[in-house]
Amino acid sequence: MIAFERVSLRLGSFSLKDVSLSINRGDYYFIIGPSGAGKTVLLEAIAGLHRPDSGRILLRGKEITDLPTERRGIGLVYQDYSLFPNMTVIDNVSYSLRVRGVRRQEARERVAGLLERFGVEHLADRYPGTLSGGEQQRVALARAVAVKPDILLLDEPLSALDPVTQERFIADLRRLHRDEGLTIVHVSHSRREAHMLATRMAVLIDGRLVDEGDADVVLNAPGSREVASFIGVENILDGVVTANHGGRATVDAGGLRFDAQTDAAVGEAVCLCIRADDLIIAVDDGRRPDAPNTMTGTVIQIVENGPVAEILVDAGMDMTAVMTRRSVRDLGIAPGVRVSLRVREDAIHVIRSALSARE
Amino acid sequence: MKRESGSADADAPPSRWRVRGRRQADLCIVWFCILGAVLVGLTVLALANITITELADPLHLIEVAASSGVLGAILLTFSAGANAVLLLILFGTPLAYVLARAPPSRVKGVVESIVDLPLILPHTVAGLLVYLLFMRRGWLGAPLAEIGLAFEDAYPGTVVAMLFVASPFFVNTMREGFEKVPLHLENVARTLGAGRFTTFRTVTLPLSLRHLFNGAILAWGRAIGEFAAVVMIAYYPFIISTLIYYSFTTSGIRTSRSIAFVVIVVSLGVFYLLRRLTGYLGRYDDRV
Repeated sequence: MIAFERVSLRLGSFSLKDVSLSINRGDYYFIIGPSGAGKTVLLEAIAGLHRPDSGRILLRGKEITDLPTERRGIGLVYQDYSLFPNMTVIDNVSYSLRVRGVRRQEARERVAGLLERFGVEHLADRYPGTLSGGEQQRVALARAVAVKPDILLLDEPLSALDPVTQERFIADLRRLHRDEGLTIVHVSHSRREAHMLATRMAVLIDGRLVDEGDADVVLNAPGSREVASFIGVENILDGVVTANHGGRATVDAGGLRFDAQTDAAVGEAVCLCIRADDLIIAVDDGRRPDAPNTMTGTVIQIVENGPVAEILVDAGMDMTAVMTRRSVRDLGIAPGVRVSLRVREDAIHVIRSALSARE
Repeated sequence: MKRESGSADADAPPSRWRVRGRRQADLCIVWFCILGAVLVGLTVLALANITITELADPLHLIEVAASSGVLGAILLTFSAGANAVLLLILFGTPLAYVLARAPPSRVKGVVESIVDLPLILPHTVAGLLVYLLFMRRGWLGAPLAEIGLAFEDAYPGTVVAMLFVASPFFVNTMREGFEKVPLHLENVARTLGAGRFTTFRTVTLPLSLRHLFNGAILAWGRAIGEFAAVVMIAYYPFIISTLIYYSFTTSGIRTSRSIAFVVIVVSLGVFYLLRRLTGYLGRYDDRV
């Protein structure tokens, strides 16, 4: 559907460096990365608002590097909604029809159903400056899909909304993706949004695409340490492979012994990624202290976050585990208590430090 | 409620400081007002001086105001100014848009300096530049004279001199207006199927209307007040400033003062009306 072939682009202080990616028809494709990584530049390059310095962009199988924006048939919604302040809601939504020569009255009639679908029909004659953030966002979305584009680009559409409006808007996006069969490219720095919406995703750091693939894979089995760190893997341990028997390796990480599944050779440096919710925490009973994949330590801090609690443990290195607040109370876990942490062998994701992002 | 007021008292500085702080702030504003009043006072004094003198002899004032020479000069001045502004809208608006959207570069810097040049030139120099270019043997004057368009001592000469000195006022105001329109709005319009010009016509220009009117009024005001640049190329036909100068040097201060008073009254009226008009037009600019 959309393909970047070694695209490089410099725009002021932002730049894309040799980016190659492919977005398939029907994907909910997430591009995440820290602020200033070049995510919006990449999105605007898809829309044709920036011409690459080198490389090619393909759309629906054809090269479109030089095709003007207005002929690409792509919808775009910015973080700031970018509604035209000189037009009413209905004129905003019918703008794409008007510029295609449809008469004003007919254009208004044709978008009436769309306003209803997005729940903004009662705002039709209001100006954008008088709407709330959530209302503006829904109008912006209705305007973007008014001429039925098959690709929709979203630039951090949730970041300016309050949590309740965010949930509602996420539901809108899911419905839009499911019902319209749209290919959606969503730029964000939020891992939470990626978890909730993405089917495939890419990670962009400092203008370089450092990981790309199915969302589940990128989020749960990141291709490099920097990706693991950015997507929020709570525990990343550096280690060295000390033995490997047919893909079942033993890794020494700071004096702790882990069994994990990897093809890394003996002596090779690796990173072990362990999600906080894969760590099983229990009050230390002194049994099997030397068992693989088991650590003992002292609880340093407990941070309650809604129904769950993050437990920071000093086990020779800082480890973060997570469990329900109720379990914390029932097990009597508190700062100063000795606990054991255990992780299943298949829950450890091994990144081979010497290899590039994803082979 | 009690707790709130208690906490407010606790946060507030001791009353001695508060009073002193307030007094200092007031004194500061008072001094600013006094200094500013010198400028305003100068204009008010000059206006009061001419008004009192003129109203003391209303018959002479009416006679001057009703004379065809004065009315003709006023009409000529206003229409030449309006023509200059129309040309500025035609040529200056695209230039202002390009300057607003172009990324910083050496070429852009040079063009900006050229646009600002009439601001820093003595007006006689500006007039000389216009004269040399548009005189009968000038680079542009000669070929245009061939097709019957003369500039020396002619209406087009007045217009072109006004256009030259007023252009920075229009272009710079317009450019500020375009810069205020977020680029995202144009980007979205283009993804919705509008070409560059349609985007400009339907989004950017409507959102810059107030700047267009302000720029036009500023440029018009500058144009109708021009003397030196105009007199170099078109001493005739008389515009207001040349008529006042002519009258001052030939008939003395009494007539030139009456003409000046009439011009002040008419200009104040016209500018007041135009300002009221711009208050209603392009009001949605506030929401950009």
